[in-house]
Amino acid sequence: MASKILAIRNVVNKPLNFFVNKIPQYQTTGYNLKNISTTTIACLNFFNKLPAEKLWKSVTSVSNAGAKKGRGKGAGRIRIRDLNRGQIIGTGKINMLWPGLSAPVIRGRELLKQQRLPDDPERMEKLIKLRDSMTRFRRLRLSPIERGWSGSRMPGRSIGAPDPVGDEEFTGFDTKVLQLRPLLIMKGSLGRTRNYQAMVVTGNGQGLAGFGIGKAKEAPAALRKAKNRAGKKLMNFDIYNGHTVFHDFFTAFGKTKIYVQKKNEGHGLKCHRAIKEICQAIGIKDLRAKLEGSNNLQHIVKAFFVGLLQQRTHQQLAEEKKLHLVEFRAENEHYPIVVASPSVVRTKEEIPKDETLDFNQYIMNDRVIFRRKKFPRFYETMPHYEIFLKKYEKFRNHEKIRLNLKVEYGEIKSFLTDKYPEPKEEKET
Amino acid sequence: MSLLKLLKNNTRNVLIKCNESQLIFISSRKLSIVPSSYDGENPAPKFFSSGIQILLKRLTRPDYAKVFRKRSNSNAPMLETPQYKFLTDEELQIEKEKANQSADRLLQMPPVVKVHEPINDVLSKDPALVGFDSAKYLFTDISFGVANEHRLIVERDPDGILRSCDHDVRKRLNQIYFPMLGRKIREPLIFADDEKLHSLLDRQKYEYVLDRACVQYEPDEPKFQKVTSITYQHIDTNMQYDLLRSTRHFGPLAFYLTWHKCMDSLMFELVQTGAIREAVLLMSLRHAVHGDLKNGADSDALGKQVLTTPVQLSKSEYLTEEDIQLDNKCIECLDAYIVNNSTMKSQQGLALQGFREYYQQMVELSRGLKKAHGTA
Repeated sequence: MASKILAIRNVVNKPLNFFVNKIPQYQTTGYNLKNISTTTIACLNFFNKLPAEKLWKSVTSVSNAGAKKGRGKGAGRIRIRDLNRGQIIGTGKINMLWPGLSAPVIRGRELLKQQRLPDDPERMEKLIKLRDSMTRFRRLRLSPIERGWSGSRMPGRSIGAPDPVGDEEFTGFDTKVLQLRPLLIMKGSLGRTRNYQAMVVTGNGQGLAGFGIGKAKEAPAALRKAKNRAGKKLMNFDIYNGHTVFHDFFTAFGKTKIYVQKKNEGHGLKCHRAIKEICQAIGIKDLRAKLEGSNNLQHIVKAFFVGLLQQRTHQQLAEEKKLHLVEFRAENEHYPIVVASPSVVRTKEEIPKDETLDFNQYIMNDRVIFRRKKFPRFYETMPHYEIFLKKYEKFRNHEKIRLNLKVEYGEIKSFLTDKYPEPKEEKET
Repeated sequence: MSLLKLLKNNTRNVLIKCNESQLIFISSRKLSIVPSSYDGENPAPKFFSSGIQILLKRLTRPDYAKVFRKRSNSNAPMLETPQYKFLTDEELQIEKEKANQSADRLLQMPPVVKVHEPINDVLSKDPALVGFDSAKYLFTDISFGVANEHRLIVERDPDGILRSCDHDVRKRLNQIYFPMLGRKIREPLIFADDEKLHSLLDRQKYEYVLDRACVQYEPDEPKFQKVTSITYQHIDTNMQYDLLRSTRHFGPLAFYLTWHKCMDSLMFELVQTGAIREAVLLMSLRHAVHGDLKNGADSDALGKQVLTTPVQLSKSEYLTEEDIQLDNKCIECLDAYIVNNSTMKSQQGLALQGFREYYQQMVELSRGLKKAHGTA
């Protein structure tokens, strides 16, 4: 309120000032001309006594105790700005032409003279804008294709094929970062030092893949080391029909347990993101994996690779059991397809009574997957859901009926529409 | 100009006699097939006789890779995970037996029967009820366990007459009270609109059309017989028999062509592709249906012999002496048919000649191989 009044007063005063000022203007110029001093004056003040660095520190610094409480972080944080940025020697508030400083001395055949040019009213605005842009923190923006699992962080991002070893080039390979983390190590002479550890998986999508761990002082170096190590430790995996694993399996490393299930075409990869990256590197397209126990990432990767390596092909299984292995697919009307036959087939009498003949049980080593009981959804037990169902009951077939009407008449109408047409709204009038 | 017009909306083929008495066939794209249904003699006794059924099933040439091909019948969003079993030899044999049974089920032929007669029996006339209402009254017995064709459905007309309903009304009421999955009360557009049907036929979706017709109609309905006969004729003119092989519709197709004595292009196709034994089976089918072949007894005897041999899905690379003997007999039998009964004598004769030459090479090759192996 007070500021408003002041502003109004300024406007009201202005014309008065204009008249009042007119007369003394002559007087002041006259007065100034009379007193010309030649002595130097040192304009010492707080701002030009101290260097910029110290000045900024006084503004931005937070006390030790304050830092511990988390002050000087987050939204209200003051950042150091370089006020010299965008400023050029020879140009200033008053737009002057200084030959030899902000302009050449001779232009063409003409000797330039020091002169005042028309003022640039936007200069200050531009400077302020430039200074403001420095204060805002900008996160590195990635295109959605390049992005990893989360924002601009490395895990999940692609870092290209491993470097060639001698003449051997890794064509068709791609490497994905699985983990990148700083490790803090105490050293006798240096104290606490920071190392980076990276875990990556590389593969060509056609059965050849490997993983590697690299450590270095800097993150890029760690990634490079891990990538090249992964390239040197490639393993070959058979893929069933080019899209999935040969059979369900259980695998564990440390406290990490993984149950992997074979799936039919079109199922996709439904598993931990690291397992998904590994599957993509190998070329597996359909699979389900359930994680139990510890979710230590390095253990997950190791457990999954171990599990894949311990798979048995159908021929091996048939030979182990000395029985035909037969596949039944629902989409083929359960037509029996013999996928593997042993050299010698046992007869029914030769099979012991207590032998496990169930394929899944045999392949899981008699381990049974715990299937949690399915509870109704939280809303299904509530009274309002029953009310909703009762109300919805009479509309439950409307969608189908609408579709049928559209097929039959090309629009939504019934046998009564001809007799009692809908009132048409005339919009165009 | 008038000639052009004639060409544009011509019937099936137009024969134009040019100078030097040369025949030019111009088959029109816009097709106007004259449908023919089984409205004369009843074909059912012949179609269902065991001899003909066996012949038709054999002519279908069932290839299990096609019979059990991937189908997405269920509306599940994803394919189910395949099941695996460890089986002994005997168990595998049992499973294969089961698969054979389900193949029989999948290849069960839609029946070929005579078109039904209209129902027209007045149950009672009650003059007292004349003008009781402006609308008909329909009465349906919906008690459980009665077959649709035996269900009691009657109508009371405004003039007081109580009569049994005709087939179309019966079908509609049956569908209302006991709906069949996939059957629509109103005729689907593909059967109601000729253009839609023909566009499907031009895209060679024969199996789809025939399957859909089986769901929508009863086999003794005139519309069913019209749609199927149009489809069969379309297949016949385009020689696309392979699209129906290993499906349940091949038997009725072969029967239709034989019944109407126009199986010569099928015969031509069989000879051309070297399925000489099936050609003999087709001959014996013709003889079983019409009994008008001169060497009918020979072909019947030969057909019985052929039926004991396994189905030939692909051309065999190795011939035994018995095969050669049988095939030579077949060729002789066919030769007699072409001379006496065929309507495509020159084309079939040429095709048979081509097959003979090819077969001679095969015979020499397999005999040479035998000699080389020292088994002869």
